[in-house]
Amino acid sequence: MTKLTYFPGCSAHGTSEEFDSTLKLVMKSLDVEMEELPDWNCCGATSAHVMTENFALALPLRNLVLAERLPNKTMGIACASCYSRMKSTKVEMDSHPELAKKINSTIVEEGEYHGDVDVKSMLQFFYEDIGTDAIAEKVTYPLKGLKIACYYGCLLTRPKNVTQFDSPEYPMSMDRIMEALGATPTAFDFKTECCGASFSISDTEIVLSLSGTILEMAKESGAHAIVVACPLCQSNLDMRQPDIEKRAGKKYEIPILYITQLMALAFGYPMKDLMPAKHIIPIEPALAHIGEEIETPEEKKKPKKAVTAESEVE
Amino acid sequence: MIALGQQIENKFLTAVNRKSGSNILECYQCGKCVSTCPVSDFMDFPPREIMQMVKLGMKEETYMANSMWFCLTCAACSGRCPREIDIPRVMEAIRHLAIEENVNSDNPKVKQIRIFHEIFLDMIKHYGRNYELRMMAEFNIRTRNLFKDMHLAPKALLKGKIPLGHEKVKSAKAIQRMFRMAEKLEKTK
Repeated sequence: MTKLTYFPGCSAHGTSEEFDSTLKLVMKSLDVEMEELPDWNCCGATSAHVMTENFALALPLRNLVLAERLPNKTMGIACASCYSRMKSTKVEMDSHPELAKKINSTIVEEGEYHGDVDVKSMLQFFYEDIGTDAIAEKVTYPLKGLKIACYYGCLLTRPKNVTQFDSPEYPMSMDRIMEALGATPTAFDFKTECCGASFSISDTEIVLSLSGTILEMAKESGAHAIVVACPLCQSNLDMRQPDIEKRAGKKYEIPILYITQLMALAFGYPMKDLMPAKHIIPIEPALAHIGEEIETPEEKKKPKKAVTAESEVE
Repeated sequence: MIALGQQIENKFLTAVNRKSGSNILECYQCGKCVSTCPVSDFMDFPPREIMQMVKLGMKEETYMANSMWFCLTCAACSGRCPREIDIPRVMEAIRHLAIEENVNSDNPKVKQIRIFHEIFLDMIKHYGRNYELRMMAEFNIRTRNLFKDMHLAPKALLKGKIPLGHEKVKSAKAIQRMFRMAEKLEKTK
């Protein structure tokens, strides 16, 4: 049994309860024992690093130090923003011991930072530590027929020197996991564009514009749904979708699912475990496509009429 | 601003370079950051122009720009920068310098963004965790826009998207102490 320290982040206990609960189901199926970091605090994203320098490093550092008290060697982080703050703090501390000492002095009571706990996003943990083969083995209800746009957002793969995971421009790890579940990922060019996350409350116009383009491109790619691994992306694309539709003057009605919701479904958990009622855009119509036949790209490429050498000359 | 033919020490450039860990003089103004940036349309000076303004020592103009407040830290620009400049950190450095030197922009959008961050920070300082509903309510009160996002509220509450309860880290006191210590560090630099 693999053991993992779990850092849920503020939204897992708030707006993204369905992420938290399906994550726990999926980990149970994959034989991973998750232990929630005791007494964790907010990582500070996004405001702490906008306004302060030392406090912005001290907040994640406290969590890293607390994680070292547990026997587990890896900490899995549900939220992409928390992941980015913790991982960049870890990289900063590990490469600048002097700075680490200085910041550590603000949390003397928690103890000293050694840097021996690895920090991973849940996506990275699934892809690297579990692997697509092991995921495919657990599938009892293949999501065949479901066309999915995999949306990574900015922080799961960027900046490269911090995340050290997948491609910052066109990542494929989530696409591969979707394939393992039997679903068909679409060719989606906007998979790493930013949704406007941190401006959700302070400048909604930016979110409507950026998230609007992402929905537009996902729809164009032919996807029935978008899959995400970040609660901020989910709430921007789902909760603000009616406003985005009003602004654009058209309907998208494309549901935004967490990667763990689709994994739970494919692992045989019933629909009600996905907490469909939490979604503003209903998820059932998209999931009704499961079981349909999909034209493969090769078939699509084949011209309807056979092209003869003569017609080509014409 | 510096005049041609004169050798004047560009203190602003030195400060930004030191804080960001980048060398802005490396920027050769290709503009890749501008075409990559998802919010450059919302900025009064896109990243490329900010880089040039820092090079020219235009401190006041740079501080009054809204650009560093709109930066999403999405790191799309730095991933593509041929000179490998960590542009989001440059933006952050300028923001921190402006805060340190107490320069406040009159731009209403910047003011709103700052209010949001101040509320967020206060919340962490008091509770150790973030409480979304309270933050939205406080933001509406402090920006005198009581009905912003109210149309989302009934649906979000009904669906249990936004919890009403409070969560407090057991050692919220530790966070308060941490903040005081971090503030002291900032001053002794």
